Formats: sequence, structure tokens, C-alpha cells
Amino acid sequence: MFQYFARRVIESIPVVIGVSILVFMLIHMIPGDPVVAMLGERATEENVTALRERLGFDEPLYEQYFLWAGRMLRGDLGNTVRGNIPVENELRNRFPATIELGLMALTLATLVGVPVGILSATKRNSLLDTASMFGALFGVSIPIFVLGLLLIFFIGVELEWLPFVGRLSSDINIERVTGLNTIDALIDGNWKAFKDALEHLILPAITLSTIPLAVIARITRSAMLEVLNQDYIRTAHAKGLRYRTVVIRHAFRNALLPIVTIIGLQLGTLLSGAVLTETIFSWPGVGKWLFDSIVARDYSIVQSMTLIIAMIYIAVNFAVDFMYAIIDPRIRY
Amino acid sequence: MRKWSLLLVVVLVVAMLPTLPDSPSAAAQEGKTFVWGAEANPVQLDPAVVTDGASFRVTVQGCEPLLFYDGSTTNPIPGLAKSWTTSEDGLVWTFELVDNATFHDGTPFNAEAVVYNFERWRFTTHPTHWAESVFEYYDAMWGGFDDSENRIIDKVEATGEFQVTFTLTSPYGSMLNTLAMPMFSIASPAAIEAAGAQYGTPEVGYSCTGPYTFVEWVSDDHVTLARNATYWGDFPGNTDQVVFRIIPDAAARFAALQSGEIDGFEGPNVEDLEAIEGSDNMQVLMRGPLNVMYLAFSYRVKEFQDVNVRKAIAMAINRQEIVDAFYPPGAVIATTMIPPSLWGYNADVPAFDYDPEAAKALLAEAGYPDGFSEVSIMKVDENGVVTDEVETTMPLTLYYQPVARPYNPDGEGIGEAMVSYLADIGLEAELGSVGDWSAYLEARSNGELNGLYQLGWTGDNGDPDNFLGYFYAANPVAREGFYSNAEVGTLLMQARAMADQAEREPIYQQVEVLQHDEVARVYIAHTGVPLAFSTRVSGYVPNPLSTEHFKLVTVE
Repeated sequence: MFQYFARRVIESIPVVIGVSILVFMLIHMIPGDPVVAMLGERATEENVTALRERLGFDEPLYEQYFLWAGRMLRGDLGNTVRGNIPVENELRNRFPATIELGLMALTLATLVGVPVGILSATKRNSLLDTASMFGALFGVSIPIFVLGLLLIFFIGVELEWLPFVGRLSSDINIERVTGLNTIDALIDGNWKAFKDALEHLILPAITLSTIPLAVIARITRSAMLEVLNQDYIRTAHAKGLRYRTVVIRHAFRNALLPIVTIIGLQLGTLLSGAVLTETIFSWPGVGKWLFDSIVARDYSIVQSMTLIIAMIYIAVNFAVDFMYAIIDPRIRY
Repeated sequence: MRKWSLLLVVVLVVAMLPTLPDSPSAAAQEGKTFVWGAEANPVQLDPAVVTDGASFRVTVQGCEPLLFYDGSTTNPIPGLAKSWTTSEDGLVWTFELVDNATFHDGTPFNAEAVVYNFERWRFTTHPTHWAESVFEYYDAMWGGFDDSENRIIDKVEATGEFQVTFTLTSPYGSMLNTLAMPMFSIASPAAIEAAGAQYGTPEVGYSCTGPYTFVEWVSDDHVTLARNATYWGDFPGNTDQVVFRIIPDAAARFAALQSGEIDGFEGPNVEDLEAIEGSDNMQVLMRGPLNVMYLAFSYRVKEFQDVNVRKAIAMAINRQEIVDAFYPPGAVIATTMIPPSLWGYNADVPAFDYDPEAAKALLAEAGYPDGFSEVSIMKVDENGVVTDEVETTMPLTLYYQPVARPYNPDGEGIGEAMVSYLADIGLEAELGSVGDWSAYLEARSNGELNGLYQLGWTGDNGDPDNFLGYFYAANPVAREGFYSNAEVGTLLMQARAMADQAEREPIYQQVEVLQHDEVARVYIAHTGVPLAFSTRVSGYVPNPLSTEHFKLVTVE
């Protein structure tokens, strides 16, 4: 097993290098550059050239790449082009925000999606099945900003039940340990802050969870349906086992593989940030930051972030493979 | 599995219980907090190295230049400089500074500090003129850094503990207006030295002389400032704390104002304005226009070299309809580059009336009775001058701005409208795009938008040179579509070198007449920016340059 994972780590190195070269080429090849984006309407030929020179954007591309790659290897993510702020500092604030929201959304999606999927598989073609699958279709189709703004308007403004701006209220402070506000508040034993942080999470997490929830529910349903038609399920029923036991122990356990895979993929997506949800709920995560950085051609941020996202996907895939071995004793590495 | 989900459900339910009244906080604050809904994260809090409005909105509250803009005008008034004199030839300016100001780090404000800041900006070799930072505004407003031939400042000297003397290389008409710009705020030399290149980043913030000190900046979340207890000047308002909550979405900012989460924000959606004005607890203030949106001609297009064609296009476009349909209330149609709020504006320049019939007649006169849909692009020689030789032909194209700017709320929508107006007089134009904002600016800068193209400008210092001089003083250049008029260039250079406003004004007005007669560009609109507030807020004074001081604000 150790050998298997060691090989996987080594195999992923060319992937990371490939991604880094690809991203570097792409961001440099699209027209426009950070200098023009920075100067805006006041860009003249002379000051564009001068500034490019000062910031080193006039060097040959491969030299710029090696310079950047060398820095990355030393663990230096560089400074933002706009503002000259260490990328690492910016990341330290934003990444926990993304992780907290992503995990919350995925938890919601899993806790709701899996039971719904199981129920609609066992009650196939019932009203419940139709309704939940229609709900799933709706969940995939509703534009995030429509749902987000509806929640803000009804739950936030009209009913005043929940906050919808950022991660904490203006008057709450939490001492930073992990950067995950809910955890930090618990460590601090500050219940008021915990409640505030949790309340701020709910609306964006609901918004962000709709698509993964719908996907998870549908996958669970189809995986369960496949298993429920197997002979051993019929045997289990025939043995006189309780219906629940058959569904959970015999069927669900065997349907888990595709479900875990899809949850893993969703985790990768969620951890790379969510542009729309972050924008609507003023959530200071990495998604909108990356988006803005592409528009501003802030090379340092785009290059570092995409590389990190690639690594997240690789790590999530590892974790999923690892889970396989736990779920299914027949799988050995 | 079941135990865990049960726990989570319990936690969620507890969290969603109706909010219990919080116990009154032990240290009840005396002063008020003013919460501003900011549209973007600041880039940096060292105003010398940034160009974005979100950064300046914060730094204006804490960092002060030698002069301020007066109330809702662009007229310069005393700031850290309480008075000034100028020599007859306009080359030597002497400023008397206030003697009771202290920087936030406790070091004293004096003439030496002013000199330090100017030297830091001027000399690219100065140890705190970081190579990776962009002192863009200094470069743009003062004729370049000290290694530039065109530099305006020759010397800045401390001629007394509280007296600074500037010696210029040539008279600079916009001197006072430019000194009042927020990017030329005086920061503590000790703080800059101590923080090094970290100065202005979220970890450090700023250290200046203003009414609010820096407390905290969490990227993309909030910036907090606190009242400066030892502020040297007047502080008419009642706020002890200012919080900038970063809320990128305009609809979410509006919702946050409705729910009382914030006290004010800039740029509500046009469709929300009515709701704000009709509400009992919200109000709208208008910031006067200091911008212009225009449709430019590329003079590489042979057909556009005929003034009758340009005039026909100007008369074909129904600007009133565009302003009514796309712009927020308070926008006006433009007749010149200069907005009406600025001195130098020539009110006698008439607008081109919307008249498609007359436009068609002009096209016929120019030899295009049936209009045209193809244009010839002329060659440009190595000096950047348009020649008589045709390089290629291409479809007539109208390029639209790919992003919304304050002066252009909907580039594509306005572009579609313009294309249909042109079609009415027989000009079949394609609606063109060249990628995103950065790509668009680059194409414009290189003179590659061969056709008609939208763009605009927001004023920096409230001086007409910043509108006309910036665009047309040096011509022809690729960036301005190869617009060429030697007389306009000479007049603008002349006005730039004069110190006396009364002498400069008629020159700008003359240029506006010249540009109208030759239809240099089609000027479309000037637009103000609406600001939305809770009715708890009073004392806020909108300024066309956006240098609005929160120290004036009272929160009930």
C-alpha cells in the first residue's frame, strides 16, 4: 500500500509541472497584460513599455517561467503584481474562508443528498422519487445568483433571520488559530462568536450546496438502484432480514464507491473557490480573488492559485482512492 | 454516521434559534461607527502606489495632501499647507505648513517630511521607491520621474521647519489642483522606513496625519479605522470608528443597506434607485459628474478623414435617447470633452442635433449617397503618422467597451444602439469586441481599434488639462486613434505652461470650439454617481473627485 501511494506521488509530479507550464503559457498568451490592466485609460505606449521593463515582463517567457518555478520550489509564492503584497499572506486569509464554506456546503449536500438518493431509489417511481428528482434537476439548473439573491432578500432582509455579508459581524473578533472561524471560536470557548460565524455560514453554504446536493442525490439513487436489483439483495430479503438492514448494510455499503468518488470530485471543486457565491455573499475566499486576478492579469496570483488547485485535485483523488480500500475490503493497493 | 448527523442537526438547530438579545457589551462605545459598503478590496493602502478608487476611499480618511478640494467642488483649499505664494514667473512656489500635525506613529509632521515624500516619489533610485511598486500617478501628473526630460518638479526644499519651496522646470497651471490629489498625501517617513516594502499592505496599513488611524485590514472582508485622538484639524462629525465592509455585488450592497448592516455605499443599481428614494430610512445623494464618455474615430480609416462623414455620424446618434435609456438620473449629454462642472467648460459649444436626414445629406455630399459598410485602413509610417497609402480594407466596425465604467454603464447595449442609429443613415457597422478590458485597452493603446470605438475618462485633479491636455496635447499618437491637429496641440501646451487660471480658461474654450467644428470625436455623456445612505447618516458631502471625508459624517 505504501508502495502504491509512493508511486502515485511520483507520478503526479509530471502532472503538476505540466499544469504549471500550461497555465503559465495560457495566462501569458491571452491578450492584455497586468501593466495595461493597471494603467487603465491612462496607458500610453511609453509608460507601458517602461513599466513592463521594471516589472520584468519584457524578459523572454521561458526565463520568466524558470524564475517563477524556482521561487515556487523554494516555497516563495511571490508578490502580487498589483499592490506588491506577498501572495502567501493573501492566501492565508482567503483559503480558510474557502475551506470552511466548502466543507459546510459539502456536509449539507451529503447529509441531504445521500438520504434523498437512497429514499428515492427504494421508493422508485413513487411521488417521493419524482419530487426529489425534480428537486435535484431544479438544484442543478437554478442560477446561483438567483438563488443567492432570493435567500438574501427573503431570509436576510425581509425576515432578518440570518446575516448575509461576509464571515463575521463587524463587532465580533475571533483570535486566529486555524483561520476557520467556527473552529477558532470553539477553541476560544467564545459561544457568541461561534454562533455568529455559524450563522454567517448558513446562507452561502445552502446556496453553494445546491449543485453538489443534486449531483450526489442523483448518483446515490442510480448506484442504489443498480445494487438493489442484485441477487444477493433478494437473498437478504428472503432470509427475512429487516428492510432497513438490507438497504443500509447490504445495499448502501455496496453502492458507496461511486458516491464517494462523486463527493471527492465535488470537494475538489468546492475547495477551488466559488466565484458567484463568494461575490453575492461577500465571502472573502479564493474563487473571486482568482477570477479578479485573471481579469487584472495578476500573474503571480493566477499561477500560484492554479497550481495549488491542481494539487488539491491530486490530493482529493488520493484520498478517494484511500477511501476505496476502507470501504471495499476487496480493494488492495 | 447516525450519531454524527444527529449532532450536526442539533448544532444547526441551536444556531438557527431566534436570536436572543445579546447582553449589552461591557464597554459601550460613546462615539458611533460608520459602516461603508465598499465595492472592492483595496489594492494597497499606500496611496502613492495605487490607482484604484477602492484604495483611495480608505486612504483619504487617514492620509492628507498639502491641499484639499473644497466641499463638492474641485477648487483647491488649504490642507496640510495653510497658505502659499508663487513667484511672478510661476516657477517657485512656497508653502507654509501647519505646525500642529503629528503622524499616526507619533513622529512630527514638518517640512522635512514633505521633502522626504516628494523625493521618494521623484527619484526612482530612492531607497523606498520600491522597484516592484508603481508610482503611476506621480509619473502621469508630474511629467515623469526625475530621470525624465519632461519632469515638472526641479527641486523640493525645506526652507524652514514648516515651510516648503518647490522649484519647477516650467510653469505648471495645474500645480494646486494636482497637489490636492489623494495620491500625493504625506506619509510618515519613519513608518515607511520601518515597514519597508510592506508599507501599505494589510499587515501594516498606513501612517499619516489624517483624522482616522489604521486598525485592521482583512483582505476581501473589511478594513477598520479608528478616530485619531490627536488629530490636528477640525472633526465636525461624531464617528469613533469607520468600517469598510467589502461587498462586491451591488444588489447585495443594497440589501445590506436595507437590513442596516451598512450605512452607505456607492453606485446602487439604477433599478434600485427608486426604491431607495421612496423609502423612509434610505436616501440618495448625487456626486457631480467629472467624466466623459465618447465615441472615437480611428483616423487610419480613410472614410473618417472627411469631416462630413464624422459630422454625419455625430448627427446620426441620438444621444438623448442613449442617456435616457442607459444612464442613471443626473447624467447629461456631452458637447465637449470637459464636463460642465469644471472650469474651462465652454457652454457656447452647441450639441449636434439628432437629425438622420441631414446626416444622410452630409454623407451624400462626402460621396457616399448609399452609405458604406467597408472601410479602407491607411498605412502608418515608422513615425506613427498616417500615410496616403491604403494598407487593407475591412468591414466598418464599432468597438464596444467590454466592462462597465462609471461613464459607460453598458458598453454593449450602447454599442448595439449606436450600430442601429448608424444603420438608419446607411452605415452598416459591425459591433466589434477584442476580448476583456485589459485586451481592449492594449488594442486601443496600440492604435488597433480601426473603426469607431467607445472609451471615456474620469478626471484626476479637476483641472481641464487633465481632460484636454492629457488626450490631445501630444498628437498624433496611436493611443488616440491618430487624431491630428497641430493647432490644438500648440494651444494645449501653451495653456499647460501658464499659472493663471483666468488666462488658461479661454484657451481651453477655444480648443473646445475647434474640436466641435472638426468633429474630433463624438462626445456622448457626462454622468454623476449616485450614493445611497441610511437616513441615520448626515453631513456627507459628495465630491466629483470622490475625495469625500468621513470626518464630516454624523451617525444618529
